[in-house]
Amino acid sequence: MADIFQGKLTRRRFLEVAGMGAAATVAVPGFLDACAQSTTSSATGSPKPATLSLYVAKDTARPQAQAQLFAMIKAKFEQENPGSSFTYDTYASAAEETTKLETSAAAQEGPDIFEFGSTLVPTAYATGSFEVFTKDMWNHIGGKSIFFPPQLTMSGPSPDKLIAVPVSGNPWAMVHNKAMFQAAGINQVPTTWSDFIAAAKELTNGTDQWGTAMAPADGFDPWHKIWLFVTQLGGNLMDSTGKKGLLDSDASLEACAFWLDWMAKYKIAARQDATFKGADEVRAFATGKIGFSVMAGPGGIGTWDNSPVAGQYEYTLGPTIPYGMSSLPSGGKATQGFVSGQYYTLFKYSKNQELALNLLKVVVSPEIQYQYFNLRKQQPVVLETFTKYPELKQGNWAALYDAALKAYPTPFFPAWGPLEVELGKAINKIAGQIGISGSYTMSDLKAALTQVNQELQASLGA
Amino acid sequence: MPVPYWLLSPSVIPLVVIVFIPMAFALYISLTGLNQNTIGDWTHAPFVGLKHYLDGLDPRGPLAPSFYTSIKASVVFSVMTTILILPIGVGAALLLSGQLRGRTFMRAVMLLPYIIPTFVNGILWRLVFMTNTGIADQIMGALHLGARDTFWLIGPRSLWALVLADVWASWPFIYLMALAALQTIPPDVHDAARIDGATPLRIFRLITLPLIAPTLGLGIALSTINHFNNFALPFVMFGPTPPDEVNVMPLNIYVNSFITFNLGLGAAMSVVALLIMLTPAVIYLRAARVGDTD
Repeated sequence: MADIFQGKLTRRRFLEVAGMGAAATVAVPGFLDACAQSTTSSATGSPKPATLSLYVAKDTARPQAQAQLFAMIKAKFEQENPGSSFTYDTYASAAEETTKLETSAAAQEGPDIFEFGSTLVPTAYATGSFEVFTKDMWNHIGGKSIFFPPQLTMSGPSPDKLIAVPVSGNPWAMVHNKAMFQAAGINQVPTTWSDFIAAAKELTNGTDQWGTAMAPADGFDPWHKIWLFVTQLGGNLMDSTGKKGLLDSDASLEACAFWLDWMAKYKIAARQDATFKGADEVRAFATGKIGFSVMAGPGGIGTWDNSPVAGQYEYTLGPTIPYGMSSLPSGGKATQGFVSGQYYTLFKYSKNQELALNLLKVVVSPEIQYQYFNLRKQQPVVLETFTKYPELKQGNWAALYDAALKAYPTPFFPAWGPLEVELGKAINKIAGQIGISGSYTMSDLKAALTQVNQELQASLGA
Repeated sequence: MPVPYWLLSPSVIPLVVIVFIPMAFALYISLTGLNQNTIGDWTHAPFVGLKHYLDGLDPRGPLAPSFYTSIKASVVFSVMTTILILPIGVGAALLLSGQLRGRTFMRAVMLLPYIIPTFVNGILWRLVFMTNTGIADQIMGALHLGARDTFWLIGPRSLWALVLADVWASWPFIYLMALAALQTIPPDVHDAARIDGATPLRIFRLITLPLIAPTLGLGIALSTINHFNNFALPFVMFGPTPPDEVNVMPLNIYVNSFITFNLGLGAAMSVVALLIMLTPAVIYLRAARVGDTD
């Protein structure tokens, strides 16, 4: 090696030396990595003690409860796996979640366990960076049959290709303010969207009280609502191959128009909602400014129980019959929402997979699952938890349980993420127009949906 | 005697590693269909040639509206912000370059907006511009300058919201550059002009401004580039689905690369952004005659 630096250094020689340096830069980490791929089990067959790393979603509403829950999980895990422990890092936004996924997949290096929301599991699956669970692996954590069946529909593209273990559920239902209902003389929860609009109008005074709210500026809310309406109408946002966007279809146009009309035509939501995000809607309900919150998960419970509406709100199943109809149209589904929740996946390049399975076993134990409900107000996903702890099917949680049973999975397409963003762009644009001028035209909406569908198509064809 | 090229290695190697390899890599990715399906084995991402460039730059391309909207938003935003911060920064520097009571304290205070982290700045200004409840609407309502439910975070006014927020955060940059340049001017020059009866305005126009112009030119070029590349502020203020007026290129690139996983397209947009950004840099270098030997 030393003779490289001896003698005359010409341009050619310089390039040779630089080339060797570059080759070494590429080769050495790979070599070291290969050396590090040693066995992870001790001679006794139990996993070698190690410290696992987790990358999980931050509970921004209840960070202390999350810390408390992880402390419980850690205590149980360390007791069952002497010498082992885990650390966890959190992400507070979808952007952080996807960035970490990309960098880890490209570098083939990252946390042992990743937590994903249900709609990002298909994207994670597409990267090929996560372990497909074998029968033995499922058995290790208690078997597939221990889980609330709908949750497994978002764990992988087919029952034999599941990569994600459900850890908590987020069912969607409708919530209403009972005091406002009483004051307006409404004694029945609407089951059709026509009745919903009529009831919401009764609850609206047009200044400081509104029938409902919407959050078109949110990163998720637009596609949540549009998916619900399109599914009830019997349509789809993407074709069955996952290669063609249907954002500009008639069903999609009708669904978008119906939602946007809450502000523009029926005036049951304030124009100020044009800049609302999900948290703004939760706050509006907490302060008693709105009567309904549609497609509300259990996430709001913590806020509402400590607000002026504590004890005054009730979860129920939401309407399923499209506006202007008396029954479901052909192909329409009586859904309350999509299968939603949080999932843990095993990173393919983890050197502690067996130990990670031990940790998953702790997380899905009924005792820890109950704490997801007790501390974090999330719905457990393990069936035994519901029989062991009856309160999980009582009061508001009864409606949420029913809603979970009436949830449909979103298509398991990796392009669902781009679809969410593109649909959000169109809704945001038209909602902005309504916010400023109070109205929009169907041709504007059609043009916006056509444009985003084109962009989606370009991304699908890439 | 052979030219000892190896003596260049301390500067050439970092330049290659830090600048040229990532640039070449970005260029390569822009020619591939790197996305969620191929990222796990990114070296085998399919080669798509100029598809992403054509999709975005060809006026009939499916992504052309979004591409051109972003280019326009970025250019308008960076030029407007730079034009506005220039007089503010120079004015503040002139004020604090003279003898003034509490000058040191004031110089420190002037830097505060520049020191505040951008994401904090973004949250702060988002709150200021919230419809109805934000300070902007409250002030406008109280002074009868507009309705209390004026929308700043959507529609055409969103550009002004972003520009105002960025002006507030970035004017100290020009102030610092101008102040540094002012301190290099010998006091005798100004004294002589005053003895000759020159007015303050004439002194500024004919003496001060020409002497600080080269530094200001650099400040303007760097400021334009910084504003053009500002990602954090629009992202925090408007999120991943911003109004067209503020859908600046860094935000569009980020959404394509890290939210919709279309990394090839994101890389192509980055290359186009780089080419656009070369414009102020080249203008400055030519104006300052950097590299000329005389």
